[in-house]
Amino acid sequence: MGTTASQLGKDSLSEYQELTFLTKQEILLAHKRFTELQNRDERNHLNATRVPMEKILTLPELKSNPFRKRICHVFSTSEAKDGSLTFEDFLDLLSAFSDSATLEIKSHYAFRIFDFDDDGTLDCGDLEKLVNCLTGETDDTRLTSEEMRQLISNILEESDIDKDGTVNLSEFQHVISRSPDFVSSFKIVL
Amino acid sequence: MEDQKTVSFMRLLSDESIESTLSSDSCEYYQTEIYELLPSVQAVRSQQDTYDTLKSSEAYHGGQGPEEGFGSDTQSRGSREKVFLQPLRNLAMCMQGKRGARERRKMQSSNIGFWESGRRSQCINRKKIWAQMREAGFSLLPWQHTLHKIQGRFGIGVKSYFVFLRYLIYLNLLHSALIGGFILGPTAFYGTNSSESLRFGTNDSVLDFFLGSGFLARSPVFFGFYTRGSLDLICLNTPLLYLAGILSIFFCSIIMIVRRTTVGYKHTWMLEKRTSMNVSFKIFCGWDFNIQDPAAAKLKHSFIRNDLKLFLEEQSFSLRKAQRTLKHKVCLYLLRLILNLVVLSLLGGAFCLIYFSGKISRRESPKHWFLNLVLQYLSPITITFVNLVLPHMFRKISAFEDYSLTFQVNATLVRSIFLKLASLGIYLFFIFNETLKHPSCRENQLGREMYKLCIFNFLTTFFNTFFMNYPRKLLQEKYPTSLLARLAGKQRFLIPFNVLDLVYIQTVSWVGVYYCPLLPLIGIVTLMAVFYIKKFSVLRCCVAEQRMFRASNSSVLFYFMLLLGLLMAATTPVLDFYQSKQANNFRIYCGPFKNQETVFNVTNVCVKSLPSSAQTALHYLSSEAFALPLLLAEIIILTSYVSRGRANRKAIERLKDMLVMCSSDKRFLVKQHATLLKGQKNANRVRPVAVEQTKLLHEESL
Repeated sequence: MGTTASQLGKDSLSEYQELTFLTKQEILLAHKRFTELQNRDERNHLNATRVPMEKILTLPELKSNPFRKRICHVFSTSEAKDGSLTFEDFLDLLSAFSDSATLEIKSHYAFRIFDFDDDGTLDCGDLEKLVNCLTGETDDTRLTSEEMRQLISNILEESDIDKDGTVNLSEFQHVISRSPDFVSSFKIVL
Repeated sequence: MEDQKTVSFMRLLSDESIESTLSSDSCEYYQTEIYELLPSVQAVRSQQDTYDTLKSSEAYHGGQGPEEGFGSDTQSRGSREKVFLQPLRNLAMCMQGKRGARERRKMQSSNIGFWESGRRSQCINRKKIWAQMREAGFSLLPWQHTLHKIQGRFGIGVKSYFVFLRYLIYLNLLHSALIGGFILGPTAFYGTNSSESLRFGTNDSVLDFFLGSGFLARSPVFFGFYTRGSLDLICLNTPLLYLAGILSIFFCSIIMIVRRTTVGYKHTWMLEKRTSMNVSFKIFCGWDFNIQDPAAAKLKHSFIRNDLKLFLEEQSFSLRKAQRTLKHKVCLYLLRLILNLVVLSLLGGAFCLIYFSGKISRRESPKHWFLNLVLQYLSPITITFVNLVLPHMFRKISAFEDYSLTFQVNATLVRSIFLKLASLGIYLFFIFNETLKHPSCRENQLGREMYKLCIFNFLTTFFNTFFMNYPRKLLQEKYPTSLLARLAGKQRFLIPFNVLDLVYIQTVSWVGVYYCPLLPLIGIVTLMAVFYIKKFSVLRCCVAEQRMFRASNSSVLFYFMLLLGLLMAATTPVLDFYQSKQANNFRIYCGPFKNQETVFNVTNVCVKSLPSSAQTALHYLSSEAFALPLLLAEIIILTSYVSRGRANRKAIERLKDMLVMCSSDKRFLVKQHATLLKGQKNANRVRPVAVEQTKLLHEESL
């Protein structure tokens, strides 16, 4: 514990505490887990190196999540858009999924995760992909196209308040804010 | 009027036209270039893209990026103020973005006056301290890790059961503290007048701990121990403190549970009544991100799939229901009537059984200790048996009634609640009447019955887990192909029935706390044990449920049931007082209120010693003359709230209409603009070609 703390540095630790929702213990634990993912020679310069997405996805907390790739893409600051994470990106991820993150933050990131084509709204294609992620990707677990059509028209009827055929961020947050379950289920704790 | 008509027309029109516009247009309006430039889209986007702009601005060596400036221009001053006061961690940006925001804040705060910056930093500090205190409070909560593990494997529903269990433990801790302060403390300090010394004598046996007789009857567990102590002022004596302790327990519980119920109820009300957003919730909040186990993830997939299919089926079920013929309807109602009669007769039979078991156990006790034990426990055994068997029968019965699935679950639950509380009520009524006939310290007898109920309930949980569930699981593991194992089937953790058990135990504890003040302490011990037993049972013996419970809905139901139990527990002592008041020559033979006709004699003595003005005030407060204005005031407050709610609902409707209008305007304008742009481009592209063609023609002609 002492070694990791000294490696992280007191200043950056308190800075991370200020900028994220994580407690000191959580940051230290995150650091430990992150260094385990890094190669041996990369460990010394923490923020300069990126851990590729494939390695991040081996974390047990993400392994069985159907949105794992989207999560990496959303939180990645990489220019190549390959979903690789730096330590700070990793902290951002954990902060958004932590116990004490606000509903607003959580719903914002949920929207971006569900927005598969990154165009700022959830359209029919996004919704279809989302439903497929939820029910399972294989052919026999998918809903039939007729069921899918019925379902999507139901969703849009309910949550598309301004009737423009897509669900935008504020409509999404409007739906989410009425769900008491969301905060407790949108959580990843190391 | 005119306005509203057109608005609703617009909504209808847009409702219908969605499908066509979606399918017919190859190019959606939100994919056009002009859409990206709309102020509303920019406002949302500016938050998302801060990182990119920041990076570009960093390249320009600090300073504000071009888009950054644009975004802050469009944002109104009020929202910026809000953003500024928000803690940095509340911004939806990446780490680098937050750092940039901090720098900017520092620059801005140097521009603001001294007072302003002081006020802001104070505000931020206060928030920080609150957050730290909350964090410390959360870390004090026990079993965080266990709950996390259970949630990971069984979902939120099962976890909510354990959270409820933990809540009950807290409640009992509070009760014990109150008992310690009001009853045990004064008794220990000022002593009791009883001459008997509390010692485990030769006549006593271990059996007394199960029967609540002998040694235990003399111990502080029961009412009889707390005789009038040496603290004997008129308005401050041990009986009065005893009464105050019991009343404060009821008040505290009512306040805590009502608070919990209303908070939960608000959520469910918002979920169900005003906006039917069922599917959207299932989709947007469907995935439980806590799940780590691949098997659990698979299960969740199948659960969501089944749930969605169920929803689609229920939609068609309601269609089918609308198409039922008269003959069908008559048959169905007849069936339901018969089944309800069956349920009622089952309930009646159960109550008779409880009554007779009580009668039998009151007869002369046989000599042999084991027979005696069984006979003494006959009523608790019957009650527990009835409560174990009948809910499952109700579950089977409700499957025949052709209700929708959710309604089936609710019907079973309501019947089971009724069974639990009513069977307890019947039993109480019976022993109240019986003990009136043998008045030698009847409070101790009542306390003993409650004590036995508690102990027996705990014992059933224990034996059920270790001698029923666990061997079943072992059998399935060792011989998975044997007939017995297949017959036994997989075990599921039925949340509603387990919660009912908890509610029942707590109700017994509330009913008994007056007669047996140490029940909350016993409750803490048993509930802790139940926590570990259930944890073992869930993690070791059960497979996860196919149909998961929605946590929020169910927890409201839990607290509502608890409230019902509390109300019942509060009414029973009151009924008892009035019943004993009507009996002739009734006296309390032991305990703090020895040789008095009712409990309230103590308070009457105290009130009479007060000055006359205070006396009249107290009399006025307890009379009907005070109740009437109170009732009126409540009615007025309620009416104002209801009307305010209605007005708000109307406002929401109008705002929704306005939103639809605005967005349709926006869509129209964006499309118009896009087609104009396209037209211009086409024209530009056509023109050079045409010019060249004319040139060619020109040359050829030449």
